[in-house]
Amino acid sequence: MTQEEEIIVIPGRWDLPFRHTAGRVASRFFHGLKAKRILALRCPRCQRVLMPPRPFCERCFQPLDDWVEVGQQGTLEAFTICYARFTGLPDPPYCLILVKLDGADSALQHLLGEVALEDVQSATQRIQIGMRLEALWREEREGGIKDIKYFRPVA
Amino acid sequence: MSTRVAVVGIGQTAYRAAADHLYHEHDYEAARLALADAGLDRGDVDTVITSGWDAVDGRTISDMHTVMSAGGYLKDASHVGEDGIMALAYAYLRLAAGLFDVALVSGHGHAESSFETVSSIVFDPLFVRPLGESHLVSLALQASAYVQGYGISDEQVARVVVKNRRNGAANPSAHLRSAVTAEEVLASAPVCYPLRALHCPPQSVGGVALILGSEEAARRITSKPVWISGIGWAIDSYDLGSKDMTRLGSLAAAAERAYRMSGITDPLEQLDVAEVHDITAFHELMAYEALSLAPEGGAARLLEEGTTDRAGKLPVNSSGGVLCTNLYGAAGLVRAAEAALQLRGEAGPRQVAAPRRALAHGMSAPSGAAARSDCVVVLEGG
Repeated sequence: MTQEEEIIVIPGRWDLPFRHTAGRVASRFFHGLKAKRILALRCPRCQRVLMPPRPFCERCFQPLDDWVEVGQQGTLEAFTICYARFTGLPDPPYCLILVKLDGADSALQHLLGEVALEDVQSATQRIQIGMRLEALWREEREGGIKDIKYFRPVA
Repeated sequence: MSTRVAVVGIGQTAYRAAADHLYHEHDYEAARLALADAGLDRGDVDTVITSGWDAVDGRTISDMHTVMSAGGYLKDASHVGEDGIMALAYAYLRLAAGLFDVALVSGHGHAESSFETVSSIVFDPLFVRPLGESHLVSLALQASAYVQGYGISDEQVARVVVKNRRNGAANPSAHLRSAVTAEEVLASAPVCYPLRALHCPPQSVGGVALILGSEEAARRITSKPVWISGIGWAIDSYDLGSKDMTRLGSLAAAAERAYRMSGITDPLEQLDVAEVHDITAFHELMAYEALSLAPEGGAARLLEEGTTDRAGKLPVNSSGGVLCTNLYGAAGLVRAAEAALQLRGEAGPRQVAAPRRALAHGMSAPSGAAARSDCVVVLEGG
C-alpha cells in the first residue's frame, strides 16, 4: 500500500427479541405489585427481609420461602440524577434511587418523581439521603417493576 | 509448593480515541510488543489467556479472534469475558501450579459502540433495566452514597481529577494528555449526579499484553523480573440494594488476600507506588479506603496531604490512571503493566523514585454494577 486509504466503517445494529422468564419468585413479586402489595422474602437463618425477593440468600446460601409484605413507604439510601442522553436509556433528566422500604433489610432500585430535576443545585438541595418516600402506583398495572410509577417525597 | 511467577515482558500500544483497527489487532500489536520486550517469539509461549468485553467489540463472543491475535494457535488457550487483570490472575494460577512455564495475557479496549449504551443491556432485565440503569448510573449511586455518607466536598473530589490529569499530561502513552484545573472539573457538565464529565473516564482504544514466567523461566528470560508476590480477587453482590454503597467491599476483600499473601500489614508504609482502577474520581477515593491506605471517610485527607501525588509517599496513578486512559475490558491490566514498568525503572517521565513494591488494582467485571468485582496484584522488583 503506497498511500493511506480511508478506513471503512460498516454500520451495525442489534435488535434481538428476548423472553425474560421471571421464574417463581419474581413472578410472585410482580403479581403482588399488580395488587398494590410489595412482597419480600425473609431468610430463615439471618432473618434479613430481602428486597427485591430472590430464590436464595447469597450470604447464608439458604433457600427462601417465607414471604412477608413490606411497607409502601421507605427511606432514601442513595440517588443519582442522570442529565446526559444515552442511546437506549430514558430521556434525561431522571432520578434513579435506592429506597429501603419499611420492614425490608435491603433497598429497592426505583425512580424518584415529583421533584424538579432540571437544576442540579436546587434538586440536590431538595433530595436528601434519609428522606422519607412513598410509592405511587400506576393505574394500569401489568405485573412488572414499573407497576410502581415512581416513589415521591412523603408530604 | 507452588513456583514463584514474574512479569517478564510488557507491551502497550498507543492509546487513543479512534477505532482505526480491527478490535483484535490491538491484542496482536500488544502481544508482538510484549514478546519483543521479553526477547521471545510465539513458539516460546506455553499458554495464552485473552480478555475483552464482547458488547463493546460489537460481537459475541469476541474470543473468535483474540486468541489467534495473542499467538495462541493450537496452544493451551482461553479467553475471559472480564477485565484483562483476570486473564493475568488465571495465567498466574497456571504457572504457579507448575503446569506451564511461560504465559501471555492480553486485553484490549475498543469503541464500536458507546459503553453507556451497551452497558444497559448487561443489567438485570426484570428489576433494574426498565428503570434506566447503566454503568455510570450505578457508579453514580455509589458515589452519591459515599460523598453524602462522609460529607466529602466537590472540591475534594476535583483534586483526584487534577492529580491524575496532571500525571497523564506527563505520560506519553496516555490517551488524554492535558491537565485540567479544579475550576474546570467543577464547571464540567453534569452527567449523572454527582458525576460530572471530568469525573468520568474516556473510552480509549488500544491493547496491552504481559508475559509471565515461572521462576526458572523468568531468570532465563530477563535480568529484570517483576515478581507477583501477592494476588487476590473477590466479588460482591450484584444487587446494589444489598450492599454497603459507601465502600468497595469486593476491593477490600481482594486486597486483604493479596496483602496476606505478600506479607503486607501496613500498606501505606510497605507499598512504594500504586495504580488503582479510578473508574470515576470518586472511586479513587473509595479505593484508598478499601486498600487500607486511609480510614473509611479519610481518603480525601490523604489526597489533600499530597501523599498520593507523584512526588508523595505513595504515588497513586502516576500514569494518569483510568481517568486518562480507559480500555473497557483491559484498564485493570494496564494498571499491572504500569506498575511493572515502575518497578523496572522504565516509566520515563512518569517514573517515581526507586520503587521496590507496587500495587495494581483492576475492576474485573468491566460492565459490573457499581464496582462489584476487583483483583489486586502486589508486584516486587527483582
